[in-house]
Amino acid sequence: MRYETVIGLEVHVELATQSKIFCSCHAKYGAGPNEHVCPACCGMPGMLPVVNRRVVDYGMKAGMMLNCTINRTTTFDKKSYYYPDLPCAYQTTQWFAPVAVNGLVEIETSKGKKNIRIKQIHMEEDAGKLVHDISEDTTCVDFNRTSVPLIEIVSQPDLSSAEEVEAYLERLKNLLRYAKVAECAMEHGTMRCDVNLSVRPEGSDKLGVRTEMKNMNSIDAIKRAISYEVARHIDAIENGTEVLVQETRRWDDIKGKSYAMRNKETAGDYRYFPDPNVMPVVIDDAWYQAIEASLPEFPEVKRARYIETLGLGEYDAAQLTKSIAVCECFEDAYAVCKSAKDAANWMLSEVMSILGSRKMTPDSLTLDGKTLGELITLVSAGTVGRSNGKKILAAMFDDPSLSPKEYAERNGMIVSNDTGLIEQVAKEVLAAEEKAVADYRAGKEKALAAILGKCMKQLKGNCNPQVLRELLIAEINKM
Amino acid sequence: MEQDTLRKLELLNQLSLNEVQKANLLAFFADREKELDVLNAMNTDDVERMVHVMPIMTVVREDIASQPFSRDELQKGAPDTNQGYWCVPRVVE
Repeated sequence: MRYETVIGLEVHVELATQSKIFCSCHAKYGAGPNEHVCPACCGMPGMLPVVNRRVVDYGMKAGMMLNCTINRTTTFDKKSYYYPDLPCAYQTTQWFAPVAVNGLVEIETSKGKKNIRIKQIHMEEDAGKLVHDISEDTTCVDFNRTSVPLIEIVSQPDLSSAEEVEAYLERLKNLLRYAKVAECAMEHGTMRCDVNLSVRPEGSDKLGVRTEMKNMNSIDAIKRAISYEVARHIDAIENGTEVLVQETRRWDDIKGKSYAMRNKETAGDYRYFPDPNVMPVVIDDAWYQAIEASLPEFPEVKRARYIETLGLGEYDAAQLTKSIAVCECFEDAYAVCKSAKDAANWMLSEVMSILGSRKMTPDSLTLDGKTLGELITLVSAGTVGRSNGKKILAAMFDDPSLSPKEYAERNGMIVSNDTGLIEQVAKEVLAAEEKAVADYRAGKEKALAAILGKCMKQLKGNCNPQVLRELLIAEINKM
Repeated sequence: MEQDTLRKLELLNQLSLNEVQKANLLAFFADREKELDVLNAMNTDDVERMVHVMPIMTVVREDIASQPFSRDELQKGAPDTNQGYWCVPRVVE
C-alpha cells in the first residue's frame, strides 16, 4: 500500500524588540542569570502586564507578510502551565482572538509551487530557562527569557514531505527577515519548530494518529526526524510493531530516534481563559494603515524589478533576493556606482566569497553598501586594480568605517599612470621570459597571460591590464 | 459532566474532593450545562463576537528597555538562590 504524510507546523519566532512583551526588561540575550528581570516577569503578586506596542506592530506585520486577515480587536488569554520556567504558572498567549488568521504562503519545491494555509499567528511570552547541573538537589531558574516576545505561526496540515517543510521554513524566514520583525536564526534559538505528523493511505480523507515533535531547531534535524517518524508510523500500521498513540515525542538527533515524552495535551488541558489583566488590543485604522505602509517590497516583486528595471539576469536576481541584507547592500552599492551589473557581480562573487570563507550567512552581512559602491567605482574606473579591490573589500569587512580610496592611497594600491615605469617593467619581463615570448609568437595566447601576470606582480597590481596588454603586444612585435 | 472529566479536572487543579463535594459539583455543572443548552439554541449568525464585557481597550507602551530593579533586590525574599538563580525543587531525575 502507498501512504501519504500529513504535516502541520507550529513555528515559534522570537520578535526583534528591545524590551519584553509585558514589561520593559531587556529582551536581549547575553546577560548574567536573572539580570533582565523585574517583579512583572518574575511573577511577583499584584504586578500587571503592559503590552509592548512594537510586539503588536510586528505581529500585524508578520500577518500581513503571510497574507493573513488581521483581527482588529485582538485579545490575550491565560494558558495553564505548571512548570517553574514560567513563574505565574500560566503563559499569557492568544487563544480566542489571535492577531492574525487565515493566511497563505506559497512554497516552491522540485514538484512545483504549492500553497500552504496559515491557520493563525498569535503573540505570546517565552518561558524562562532551567539549569539542572549547578546543584544536585535543586533546579536553578533564570527568568531572563521569560516574557521575551514570540509569535507562533500555526499552519494547516498542508505539508506532505520533508522537502516541503524545508521550503516552507525557508520561505517564512525570508519573509519575516524582509519585514525585519525577527532574526529567525534556528541556530540561535530565535526560530523553533514543533512538527505535527501523521500518515494515512494515499487518497484517504481520514487523518492518521498524530504525533508531535517539539522544539526542533535545525532544518536538517527536522528532515531527519520526519523521515524517521514516517517510517515508524508505516511500520506500526503495516507490521503492528507498536500501537500508535497521540503523543508528544522528543527527537534525539545524535541517536537518530524519537522517544515518547508525554501524552499530547488537548486544548482543554490548558484551560485557556481570557486574561483579565490585559484588556483587548484594538487596532484602529491609523495603526493598521501605518503598518501596511511599512511593509517591504516582497522578494518576488523585488526579483522582477531587478530583472525588468535593472537588467539583471534571472539567476543573479534570484540569488540576490534570497537575503534582504544582501539586497540592501546591493541597492546601496548600485546607487553609488550606477552599474547594477557591476554591483551584482561584486555581491555574488567577491562579497559572497568572503562571507563563505568567514563562515558567515548572507543575512549576517553588515557591509556598508555605499562604501562598496565607492570601491566598485574605483575599480571600474581603473583607479584600483581588481585584485587590489578584493583586498580592500576584505579590509572593509574588518573595518566598517574604512574609506576604499584612502586605504588604496595609504597602501600604494592606486593604479599607476606612469607609462615610463610600465614600459620599463614590460621590457624587463619580456627579456627574462624568452620562452613565453616564443610560445606567444607560436600562437599560444596563454603565454601572454603569463607574461602579463608577471608584470602585474612587479607593478603590485597597480596597472590597467588593458593598457599593459597592448604595450606588451607592441613590444613583442618590435622584438 | 462525567465522573471521568471531573477526575481529570481534579488532577489538573491539584484538588482532592470528597464524595459529597464531587456530587455537588456534578449537580452544579449539570445545571450549567442546561443553561448552556439554552444559549446554544439561540441563533447568533448575525451577532458580532464580543471580546470583552466592557467597551474598553488596553493601553500600550513604547518599546524602550530599562532595568529599574536589581537582581539582589528581587531575590531578597527568595527561600533559596544560587549564583544568581532562583532555586526550586529538582524537576528532572
